Amino acid sequence: MEYLVHILVLVSLYTTLTFSLDLIAGHCGLLSLAQAAFYGIGAYTSAIVALAFGVPFPGALAAAAGVAVLMSMAVSTPSVYLHDDYFAIVSFCFQMIVFSVLNNWLEVTRGPLGISGIPQPVIFGRPVGQLEFLALAAGLAVVSYLVVTRLTKGPFGRVLHAMREDDVFSQSLGKNTFYFKTVAFAVSAALAAAAGSMYAHYISYIDPSNFTVTESILILSMVIIGGAGSRLGPLLGAVTLVLIPELLRFAGFPPSIAGNLRQMTYGALLILILVVRPRGLLGSYGFEAK
Amino acid sequence: MSQVAANAVAAAASYLLVGIGFSLIYTAVRFFNFAHGAIIAIGAYSAYVANASLGMPAPLGVVTGILTSASSAATLEWAIYRPLRRKRTSSAILLLVSLGIYVCLQSLISLVFGAGAVSLRAGVISQGWLVLGARLTGAQVAIIACGMLGCVSTWLFLHATLMGKLIRAVGCDPELADVHGCRQDRIVMSATVLGSALAGLAGVLLAYDSNLTPFMGFSILLGGVVAVVIGGIGNVIGIALGALLLGFTQNAIAWWISSAWQDVLVFAILILFMMIRPQGFLGTASRMGAV
Amino acid sequence: MLRCERLRKSFGGVLALDDVTLQFPLAGLVAIIGPNGAGKTTLFHVLSGFLRPDAGRCFLGQRDITGCPPYWVAGLGLGRTFQDLRLISQMTVMDNVLVARPRQRGEKLITSLLPFTFAAEEQTNRSIAMDYLKYVGLAGKASDAAADLSYGEQKLLSIACCLATEAQALLLDEPIAGVHPEIANRILHLLIDLRTRGKLIIFIEHDLQAVVEGSELAVAMDHGRVVAQGEPKEVIARREIMEAYVG
Repeated sequence: MEYLVHILVLVSLYTTLTFSLDLIAGHCGLLSLAQAAFYGIGAYTSAIVALAFGVPFPGALAAAAGVAVLMSMAVSTPSVYLHDDYFAIVSFCFQMIVFSVLNNWLEVTRGPLGISGIPQPVIFGRPVGQLEFLALAAGLAVVSYLVVTRLTKGPFGRVLHAMREDDVFSQSLGKNTFYFKTVAFAVSAALAAAAGSMYAHYISYIDPSNFTVTESILILSMVIIGGAGSRLGPLLGAVTLVLIPELLRFAGFPPSIAGNLRQMTYGALLILILVVRPRGLLGSYGFEAK
Repeated sequence: MSQVAANAVAAAASYLLVGIGFSLIYTAVRFFNFAHGAIIAIGAYSAYVANASLGMPAPLGVVTGILTSASSAATLEWAIYRPLRRKRTSSAILLLVSLGIYVCLQSLISLVFGAGAVSLRAGVISQGWLVLGARLTGAQVAIIACGMLGCVSTWLFLHATLMGKLIRAVGCDPELADVHGCRQDRIVMSATVLGSALAGLAGVLLAYDSNLTPFMGFSILLGGVVAVVIGGIGNVIGIALGALLLGFTQNAIAWWISSAWQDVLVFAILILFMMIRPQGFLGTASRMGAV
Repeated sequence: MLRCERLRKSFGGVLALDDVTLQFPLAGLVAIIGPNGAGKTTLFHVLSGFLRPDAGRCFLGQRDITGCPPYWVAGLGLGRTFQDLRLISQMTVMDNVLVARPRQRGEKLITSLLPFTFAAEEQTNRSIAMDYLKYVGLAGKASDAAADLSYGEQKLLSIACCLATEAQALLLDEPIAGVHPEIANRILHLLIDLRTRGKLIIFIEHDLQAVVEGSELAVAMDHGRVVAQGEPKEVIARREIMEAYVG
């Protein structure tokens, strides 16, 4: 039972991550490999703020989101000037560098040793139990679904979709593409950081190895497989890529092998979907040539 | 001070090899192939197998590494990229496919060799040589030598051989290849094999210099890519200068400030050069470049 | 009122705009003519903010708009179309025009999350967009994907989008080139009608007949310079003489 709740918590966290990434990958058409970086920035900010300054969970989460929003400008600003495929390189570099800072800035992040003893969230004076945490995580997932759906269904989303296909034309119609990209990235980073904050306070121990490029690729794979730019694609992608490899666990492989097999499954599924059905299971946007 | 310079040049040499290889392949295929990172690791690990398990001497280990890298990349090109190119798949999707390939290959390496670091002791000088007041290990000297060799031979290849010129031509205009009667597939394959051979070489030499991990590919690829951004796709001299700039900045920062911040500067350099470089990297996103 | 002073722009060694000074009327039809490579489209790019000139200034009314970003210039009332027809092909005809509507509250972050804040405005914009579509004759195709329109219809759509931004001055780059004569006629009559409504239409065109019929002012460019401006008939006659002279 505990195991099942744990899986659902993971699904919830990843759903938040996929919706946050879909906002910029699916709806803006920007292939970002930096989502795990914002996830990590959120986790570490939250942990440090909670441990060093005793800030309670809601405040820590807000701080995490705030820092991530600020740092998102490092990625959103180049996106205004760069062709989409080149943007992938920028996001890749950003991701690598965030990991490097997390891994090397020993005074603050304790590097590879990680941060342990992150306090559980406290609500009404007592620590949150596992089921209650699931409610929190699921709540965040629902919030991210609502935020992304609301943003993309109305005029804001209309501009994003226009920019996705033709940035120049959108500007000629009076749309400030810098504003739209900055806002989209900020929202995306804030949601990813919130998920990171939750993760940190749930697991109570974090280290840089949770926030690598491979993790970014995983989140992007979930978005692609589920269907980028579609309403429920991110949810489907998260569920698929969390559940399918869990089946490997029941096949009885030892943990180290299972971990690698799981990753190979992700990679293989991504390639398969891209070859057979690039728009993903529910997809609407397929990153076709313009 | 000269130690910083020596380390910088050694680092630059590995970025140079990776950068040139990446640039060569990109010129022919026109999408960012992230699997190149795995190809680097494959070269390193096959040299490890050759040396540590099969007991081959170092030079043979190098050759093994190069051959394995080149053939792996060739297989991927033939089995996956070429059919997708036939279908006129967009560069974004090819990029995503290459990410999937990277993940598969990296986890395969991790599965076989473990996620921890392994090391290749070449049994050569552990103290290294004293060059102009700085200490360089044998591996570092080898990297620098190979870097320069790779740089010169690639430049010659691109400018003095028919295939090299065809590769450059295809880079400018993909339809040109068919006009010449030499099919695009052969050009892409040549570029892939050569570029990956360079990657494999870089991987092997790095393996002799420091430890191998399954994730080593991406960190070096990052350096190579930044060198290419600075120098420009296809510009061998430029990439060399970019690699040197990167190597020096990184090592200077690591020496005088801290190693945590050296990579932040890498990012800053990348962004700076991407914004100011007129050709290739500025699309029509904001203002119209050439009209 | 739109004007530019001593514009200069070069690419590499090529001088695309050479000391271009022009004053456009408040309203009316102005034709820009000249051979390929004369600098006509470059002029449009500079005026609309997509290119920064090496020297010279552009003014919209009293405002100096030199080097302003394209979206800003569009917001000031200067709209444009593109030589290589640009549209959002994956969106519907209606949505294309809706995107063009200015000052939408629903495009801001906070209001976007609360649909009731912009629902009424969206309704209004929809009916205004439909009016524009009716004006260009595309009302029946409002729910079609822009990609499904014929080339001529797409050109009409791009003009509708331009108008929907509430631009006072429009820069139209080859509005009837390559278009079926029937639709070309429609477009021309549209432009003439827009003139009577007080808009300034500056268009690049190769079809000299249309130029004579339509505009009250013509500007001839060659090699980046303005070689003649004035009454269309005179300008065309001068060009032909010059061409004959140069051979």
